[in-house]
Amino acid sequence: MREYKISDIFVGMKESFSKTVTEEMIQKFFDITGDENPLHKDRVFAETKGFPGRVVYGMLTASLISTLGGCYIPGKYCLIQGIEVRFAKPVFAGDELTVLGEVNRVDTELKYLEIKVTIWNQKKEKVLRGLLKAGIIDE
Amino acid sequence: MTRGEVFQKLNVIFCNNFDDENIVLSDKTSSADIEDWDSLEQINLVVAIQDEFNVKFNIDEVNAMKNVGEMVDFILEKIGA
Repeated sequence: MREYKISDIFVGMKESFSKTVTEEMIQKFFDITGDENPLHKDRVFAETKGFPGRVVYGMLTASLISTLGGCYIPGKYCLIQGIEVRFAKPVFAGDELTVLGEVNRVDTELKYLEIKVTIWNQKKEKVLRGLLKAGIIDE
Repeated sequence: MTRGEVFQKLNVIFCNNFDDENIVLSDKTSSADIEDWDSLEQINLVVAIQDEFNVKFNIDEVNAMKNVGEMVDFILEKIGA
């Protein structure tokens, strides 16, 4: 886990990590949220709607932003204040996602930062665009 | 910029920040009057104010802003109005 303090952070700073979405993760997300929408739960339904399989919950993909902030940038001292997301393309089980964060704002006085987030699949398609707003509790 | 103009812009910032078009600010409006106005939202407000008025606040100033009237005073001081 990274342990960046506010003085370590600069505009343009980047961190990334990868994670493959599994069927088990989808099931666990359902267990937590109870979201039984057939697009996520019923392969046949998803296929009739033009998808090659069950669509991964968008919020499951977005949850990786928590990992980005809490473990990578800034890491240990992160206090997430807000997240904005847009789901650009559907994600499917087996997709290997790469989460990239790039700092685009640092306020050292307020100990506040904003990180532009993009998540890509293994085909280099952007599946999510977002903005992570976080404070740094390094004292 | 007049105090009234600062107030108008600040009102828009508050409405956007709290997703509430019905907010009408006065000098005495404080966190006691807006349910979601907590310490985190204080930072979000200050960030938006800094962007709107092209000013910077230090943390002591942020902590000293106890109501909207004080916010307006700080803004007017910063922009030299």
